[in-house]
Amino acid sequence: MSASLEIKNLNVNIGDKRIIKDFNLSIPKGEVHAIMGPNGTGKSTLAKALAGHPDYEIVSGDALVDGESLLDLEVDERSRSGLFLAFQYPMEIPGVSIANFIRAARNARLPDGEELNAPAFYKELYEKMDMLKIDRKFTSRSVNEGFSGGEKKRCEILQMAMLNPRYAILDETDSGLDIDALKVVSDGVNALRGPGLGALVITHYQRLLNYIVPDQVHVMYDGRIVKSGDKDLALELESKGYDWIKEIADDAA
Amino acid sequence: MEAETGIDESIRYDFQNHIDSLNTAPEWWIQYKQDAFDSYMDLPLPRRSDENWRFANRSDLDVERSYAFDGESSLADRSKLEQASQFTETQSGSYVFADNQLVSANHAPQELQDKGVIWCSISEAIERHGDLLKDYFMKQDVDLGSEKFAQLHSAFVTNGILLYIPKGVEIDAPFCAYNWASTPNGAIFPHTLVIAEEFSSVRLVEAHLSDGEDAALSCGVTHLFAGIGAKINYTHVQNFNEQTLGFQINSNIAGKDSQVEMNSVILGCRHYRSETHGQVKGSGAHVDMRSMALTDAGQEIDQRTLQTHSAPNTTSNLLFKNALKEQSKTIFSGLIKVDEGAQQTDAYQTNRNLLLSSNAEANSLPGLEIEANDVKCSHGATTSEIEDEEIFYMLARGIPREAAQELIVYGFFEEVLSQIADETLAERTRELIRAKFRG
Amino acid sequence: MTTAASQIDIDRDKGDFKYEESHKYDAGYGLTEKTIDYICDVKGEDDWIRDFRKRALKVFESKAMPTHWATKDLDNIVFDNIRYYLAGDKQAKKSWDDVPDEVKETFERLGIPENERKFLAGVEAQFDSEAAYSNIKEAVAKDGVIFMGSTEGLMKHPELFKKWFGKVIPTGDNKFSALNSAVFSGGSFIYVPPGVKVSHPLQAYFRINAENFGQFERTLIIADEGSEVTYMEGCTAPKFDTATLHSAVVELVAMPGAKIEYITVQNWSSNVFNLVTKRAVAHENSVVKWIDCNIGSRLTMKYPGVVLKGRKARGEVMSIALANDGQHQDTGAKMIHAADETTSNVISKSISVGKGRSTYRGQVHMPKHLKGCKNNTECDALLINSDSRTDTYPAITVRGDQNYVQHEASVSKVSAEQIFYMQQRGLSEAEAMSLSVNGFVNDLTRQFPMEYSVELKRLIELEMEGSVG
Repeated sequence: MSASLEIKNLNVNIGDKRIIKDFNLSIPKGEVHAIMGPNGTGKSTLAKALAGHPDYEIVSGDALVDGESLLDLEVDERSRSGLFLAFQYPMEIPGVSIANFIRAARNARLPDGEELNAPAFYKELYEKMDMLKIDRKFTSRSVNEGFSGGEKKRCEILQMAMLNPRYAILDETDSGLDIDALKVVSDGVNALRGPGLGALVITHYQRLLNYIVPDQVHVMYDGRIVKSGDKDLALELESKGYDWIKEIADDAA
Repeated sequence: MEAETGIDESIRYDFQNHIDSLNTAPEWWIQYKQDAFDSYMDLPLPRRSDENWRFANRSDLDVERSYAFDGESSLADRSKLEQASQFTETQSGSYVFADNQLVSANHAPQELQDKGVIWCSISEAIERHGDLLKDYFMKQDVDLGSEKFAQLHSAFVTNGILLYIPKGVEIDAPFCAYNWASTPNGAIFPHTLVIAEEFSSVRLVEAHLSDGEDAALSCGVTHLFAGIGAKINYTHVQNFNEQTLGFQINSNIAGKDSQVEMNSVILGCRHYRSETHGQVKGSGAHVDMRSMALTDAGQEIDQRTLQTHSAPNTTSNLLFKNALKEQSKTIFSGLIKVDEGAQQTDAYQTNRNLLLSSNAEANSLPGLEIEANDVKCSHGATTSEIEDEEIFYMLARGIPREAAQELIVYGFFEEVLSQIADETLAERTRELIRAKFRG
Repeated sequence: MTTAASQIDIDRDKGDFKYEESHKYDAGYGLTEKTIDYICDVKGEDDWIRDFRKRALKVFESKAMPTHWATKDLDNIVFDNIRYYLAGDKQAKKSWDDVPDEVKETFERLGIPENERKFLAGVEAQFDSEAAYSNIKEAVAKDGVIFMGSTEGLMKHPELFKKWFGKVIPTGDNKFSALNSAVFSGGSFIYVPPGVKVSHPLQAYFRINAENFGQFERTLIIADEGSEVTYMEGCTAPKFDTATLHSAVVELVAMPGAKIEYITVQNWSSNVFNLVTKRAVAHENSVVKWIDCNIGSRLTMKYPGVVLKGRKARGEVMSIALANDGQHQDTGAKMIHAADETTSNVISKSISVGKGRSTYRGQVHMPKHLKGCKNNTECDALLINSDSRTDTYPAITVRGDQNYVQHEASVSKVSAEQIFYMQQRGLSEAEAMSLSVNGFVNDLTRQFPMEYSVELKRLIELEMEGSVG
């Protein structure tokens, strides 16, 4: 079986409305792909549907992690199978500290009866927090509660680093970040890049792709990929604007 | 009524036995008890039209029919209870009672005794500190509905603790009182009386616990007196078994510039009624009242509170949080009362209910009675379930649904638990919550 | 600031007048079966109504005063000193010309402006117990809308009337609904046929003009499927030496998809006990909105309710209360959720002036087996003087699945800084106070219909003008 995140002829509805239409994409492990596209084109829907959000109905098609279909798995099972979603709007969880939250997620990945080695866990946590320039005081703060936009996004990348996914989807991780925060988050993602991780970076702006340089760029419009290319496609898109994509999409139709 | 018809006079015999057992007690104490018993007999049981009992189950309040008050105890293993009465890392003194009887006592260090600190059982206080008791014992009004049960308490109380802190004495390590119910259908009457004189500072931890799974009655009273500039920090952990019927009547008086903090952790009882009256009486005084309750199958936790501000420049803050599993029920009825002339009062009241089952029922009656205009007063009450998006976020991190729910509930309680000063006690409490949550 | 605040007093001049009383029918003082027979005979009512009234009298007599939760002031009502039925003329007037001049003068003094009359789709104004004036705009009648006095409705449309009468608020709901059921007379009956949207509000003005006289209107409004109607009720009353009793019952029925808006301006004189029961049943997808403004009376007890009986029904209560010296505004809302995905919203603002007391009582009920219901309640109280008083007593019960309830209440005073700022701009303390009070209620009045907003603003200005003194 191929080591990849494979999306085949995927159709997704919200209510009665088709949002994702016969969508196809393959991300080999070790590569970083980017999806760009105008607002409302289905980028976030794709991310949430893959993670298994109950509001999104997968009508047909398939999504496979290293050859295994995700669709019959519950949300948490998908996560433990190696799929990570960095949320566009991370939830606040009052009273639950970041350390306890990540511990619970790590514990859920251990075989029954096995306990997490706490000192080793904290050593690893602190290393990764240092890498992401997150103050150690944050470990005892409640997840995302009262965090700034940048802090929330760094907290997402910290979780990604601690949970060692095989495939990661970053949903508009750049939104709401100033340039310094963007660099920190990008450095964090780049540090996690390697042969063991496939990543899908969803963004509206080319800016992020200066820092997380993708192997491939896909342009999404009206629920489908309408054009794919290398990183230069992002620059071309930035200079020509999304109207250009509309024309391509209309020509294809 | 019943006495006249002769249907049930056993409580009279029980009371007579109780009085007979107090052969060394002073006359005033016997008389006090006799009066209390008469009042108890005279007062009616709560009626349907009593606003203080709105939404409450009243079917099991006729306690004479179900419990014995004769003081017989079936307690066998005292050392076991003594072992289990360890909720804090350090302590300035501790008492363990079971079925109203003394199990063990750790007296206050000599150094504190030399400063005039009194830490003793109520039965000892009757012999040695009668004047203090005459001034302070049951001297705070009971006005939230359990007047009859307060008289029952006075009639049968034999033990509990008296803690007196003289002027200017500040004590770090907490005093601890443990009250166990052990005998099937027995009744316990834990009493806690704290008097903190001017600029003193003290912490007290009280735990109410069951030895075994038999039904019992607990009817407890806690009264705190904080003098000028005094600080009292009080934490109460109620972890009776779920057959127990419990009444807990709390009241505090906060004098000028004093600070009183009351935290309650409520886990046990089939039916638990607690009443807490925070009397903010001196200007500059501040009172905190916090509570958390985790309920499951068949439990009813009924809490009534009153924050009375009778002096200007006073503040109070109340936070009561309930998480309800299965077919359980909670009632929160709270009132902020600002008297005429109590200007520059800040008083807040928050009740949050988290429904974890569609069979659970949360009742909320947050009230305000404001008779001064220059005040900041507000209350908020919400009842909701865990948000789907919150669960989804945790699932998306690979945390199974049940574990996610559990984490969210623990997080929900942290707002209260994080305020418990003693970290060992807070941790012990979290363990009890975990044990209960997992059934 | 306190000095200026203490000058605030409500000017009731507009209500402080009365006319010669001449009543053709007078049931006399006190209430017995004979009183009921008199009323039935005078009105020529059917036997079923006579029986209904007599049963209600027994319920009234058997019920205790609700003083275990309500104010003890209720004990000052002496039922034997009240006249339960007075009527000037048995027949309702058909046109404006037939209305007696003194009644017209009353309307004039009430200050219903000419230009506002143009807005009125129909006028059903009540003078004492019987409708003294009734004028339904042709356009409304053409659409099949029935708008008449309830006595007339009872006679002419018994099939419609009987189906809903006493069904939303049963006789035994409370002591005063029982009293009303025994002696009711006057009030409005409205039926809006399916799909008809009444474009202008239907209005009625009420007056009391007899000493020791209780008024017991009975209003029933039925909005059939998909119809829409707005009803406006406003009151002022002259001042008397002894207390008078007003105890209305208002029942609303919103059929599937219907919308009813019921608007009240209550400005009885400060010796009136105003004890009113108002409730609506809202069927599937319907909306019922109570807009309730209480400025007058000695004691008002009124908690408009909505029973949300059909899926996705919505209930709203928006209320403003102003309590001055000697007044107690005890108002609130009841939201009884009885179907899935029903929503309710309560916004209450009260202002206590002098020794005035305003009280909010609320009930929100979400029983088992219901899904996706939501309630939001906000109560804000403004205290003007150091001895003003406000109370809030909500009761919330929640069970079921994915239901959400939120209640918030706050108490505040007019900020001294704000007053200072306005004074620095040249306003007097009292004017500044008046502006602040208007600001406090403004976000609520903005949501009211224009006609009502005008009426309400005029009343509040009148109240506050007196304070500049």
